[in-house]
Amino acid sequence: MTNLRPTPLDLAAIGTLATALVAGLVVPPDAVQGDLQRIMYVHVPSAWLAYLAFVVTLVGSVAYLVTSRMKWDRIAASSAELGVVFTGLALATGMIWGKPVWGVWWTWDARLVLTAVMFFVYLGYLALRRSMPEPAVRARRSAVFGVLAVVQVPIVHFSVIWWRSLHQPPTVLRPDEPQIDPPLLFALLMSVAAFTVVYAALMRHRIALEAIQSELEDAPEAVAGAAVRPPRLGGADV
Amino acid sequence: MSPLAELDGVGVRRPNALILRDVSLTLAPGEAVALFGANGSGKTTLLRVLATLTAPTSGAGRVLERTLGSPSVEEVRPRIGLVGHEPALFEALTLAENLRLVARLTGSGDPAGTAAGALEAVGLAGASGRLAADCSNGMRRRSDFARLLITRPDLLLLDEAHVGLDASASDLVERLVGATLAAGGAAVIVSHERERVAALTTRRLLLDDGTLGAA
Amino acid sequence: MSFWRQTAALVRAQTRSETRTGEVLLVVLPFGAAALFVIPMAVGADSALLQRVGPGLFWMVVLLFGIVVTQRRTAHPSGARSDLLRMLAVDPAARFTATAVVNWALLIAFEIVVGLVMIVLYDPVLTGWAWLVLVVPLSAAGLALVGTLAGSIADGAGVRTTLVPLLVLPVAIPLLLAAAQATEGLRLGTGILRWVLLLAITDLVLAIAGVLTARPLEESDS
Repeated sequence: MTNLRPTPLDLAAIGTLATALVAGLVVPPDAVQGDLQRIMYVHVPSAWLAYLAFVVTLVGSVAYLVTSRMKWDRIAASSAELGVVFTGLALATGMIWGKPVWGVWWTWDARLVLTAVMFFVYLGYLALRRSMPEPAVRARRSAVFGVLAVVQVPIVHFSVIWWRSLHQPPTVLRPDEPQIDPPLLFALLMSVAAFTVVYAALMRHRIALEAIQSELEDAPEAVAGAAVRPPRLGGADV
Repeated sequence: MSPLAELDGVGVRRPNALILRDVSLTLAPGEAVALFGANGSGKTTLLRVLATLTAPTSGAGRVLERTLGSPSVEEVRPRIGLVGHEPALFEALTLAENLRLVARLTGSGDPAGTAAGALEAVGLAGASGRLAADCSNGMRRRSDFARLLITRPDLLLLDEAHVGLDASASDLVERLVGATLAAGGAAVIVSHERERVAALTTRRLLLDDGTLGAA
Repeated sequence: MSFWRQTAALVRAQTRSETRTGEVLLVVLPFGAAALFVIPMAVGADSALLQRVGPGLFWMVVLLFGIVVTQRRTAHPSGARSDLLRMLAVDPAARFTATAVVNWALLIAFEIVVGLVMIVLYDPVLTGWAWLVLVVPLSAAGLALVGTLAGSIADGAGVRTTLVPLLVLPVAIPLLLAAAQATEGLRLGTGILRWVLLLAITDLVLAIAGVLTARPLEESDS
C-alpha cells in the first residue's frame, strides 16, 4: 500500500516549485513584453518536460519489447500520461502568451504544430491503453505504438519546417550565447529544474498507482466458472 | 514415443478472472480424450492452450515437443487441427475458395484438386461454389472438417464436435478421430453428448473449478 | 512455405473477398465523392476559392476516407479466421504485407476516381501532370501502410473503429502535408522533389515498422 505521507522527493518538488515561483515573480520583467513575459517560466519548462516525458515513454516502450517486464510498461504509460498533461499546459500557456503578442491564439508555426501533433499522438496512446483490458496485450500494443509514434516525430518535424516557419528561435540551446538576460535565464533554469523534480515526484506516485492497479486486476482465488450454476426453473434443478 | 502434449500445473488468468487454475494432462500417441465441463468452466481455453494459441500464465507445458509460450510453438501449429465454436471460414469466399486458400498455405502443389477432394469426402462437393456466408452452420462445420483432411494434423482438438452435424455426417467425427489415432496422433474432444463421445475415446475428463479430474 | 507465396495467396483471397463485398468500391468511394460535392455547401461556391483549395480538400477526403478503406472488414480477419491463419503458421509479416498491398491498390483506385470528381467539380490548375504518377501511388502506399499498422495495433479493441482514426491522423500528417504541398507546388510551378522525397521516406519508414512489428503484435493476441 502506498504511504500517503510526503516523501523527500515530494518535499523537494514543493520546495523547488515554490522557489521557482518566487524567482519568476521577483526577477525584472522583459524590456519589451513586460510582465506578460513571466508566463515563459511555465510555458518553456512545460514544453521541455513534455519532450522529456515522451523520450522516457520511448525508452520504456523499447525496454518492454526487449524484456517483456511489466515495470517498463508502467514507466512508459505513467510518463505518457504526464507528457500529455505537460503538453496541454505548454499549448495552453503558449496560446495565452501568443494572443497579446501575435494577435492570434494559434499560428501554423513548425514548433507549435509539432507540439500539437505530439499531444494527439499521446492522446491516442492513452486511448489505446484504455481500450485493452488484458495487461500483456495492452503493454505490447502500446509499446509498439509508442515506438512508432516517436519514429514519426523527426519526419513530422521536418515536414512542418519545410511547410512553415513565427515561433521564437531557440532561446537557450543555440550555437552562440543565449539571447536572454542572466536574471531571466536564472529564473527560467530554476523553473525547468522545479518542473523536472515535480515530474520525478509525480512519476513515482503514478508508477506506484499502476503497480497497485495491477495487483487489483489479479484474479480472485475462485475460478470464473464457479459463477455458473445449473439452472433452477420452478425452484428445482432442471 | 514421447507424449504429444504435457501440461503441468497450467493456469490461465485474465483481468478479474481466473479461467484455469492447475491443469495437468499428458496425451500419449493413439489417445482420444473426452473433455466435459459446465458452461464457462474453461474447456475452450484449455483447447486454445493445447493449440498453442493461448500461453499459460502459470505452470508449464509442452505440445509436440515445443515449450508453451516460446516462439518455437509456431513451427508445430500446422500439425495441430483446431475446430472451434466459430467456423474458420472467410464469409465472402466460397467453400472451395476457402479450402483452396488452406491448401495453398499448406504448400499443396494442386490446391484446386486438394480442395475438391476434401469437399467430396465430407459430402459438400455440390455446394463447393456456395459462399460461406450462405451456408448453414452444419455445412460450415463439415467444411471445417474438410480442412482437417487437407492439413492432416497429429493433434486434433474439437470443440463442441457434434454441434450442427446431421445424422449422415455425424460419423465424420468418428472417422477423423480414428484416422488421426491410427496415424499415431491424439485427440481431445469437447462435447456435451457424453454417450456419443464415450465410444470414441479412451479417457474421460471433467474440467471443474479450474482443474482436471476423471469424469 | 515462402513469405512471398503466402503473401500472394492472401492478396488473392482478400482481393476476391473485396470485389465480392464491394465495401470500398461501392460504398466508401461514392461517399468520398459525395463529400467533395457537399464541401462547397459549407465553404461557399466561390469558383476561384474552390479552384485554389480544391486539391487540398481532395487530400483531406483521401486521408479521412482512406482510413475507412484500410479498416474494411476483409482487411482484419478476427476470431476463428485469425486463429486459422496462425494455426497455418502464416508469417505475420506476410499478413501485414498482403493487407497493405490490397489497401494500396484500393486507395490508388479511390484517389483516381475521387481525383477525377475533384477536377470536374473544382477545376484546379493542373500543370506537371506527370508528377502525379509518382504522388498518387506514394501517398496511397503511405496511407495503406499506416492504416494497416493502426488496424493491427488496435485489433481486438472494442472501440477499434473509433480508435483507429485517432491513431492514424497524427502519424499521417507528413503524408498529408507532402501530398498537399506537392499539388500546390504543381499549381505554382515550383519544384516538388522535396515533397516526393518526404512521401518516399515516410513510406519506407512505415513499411519497415510494419514488417518488424507484425510478429510482436500478433503474439500479443492471446
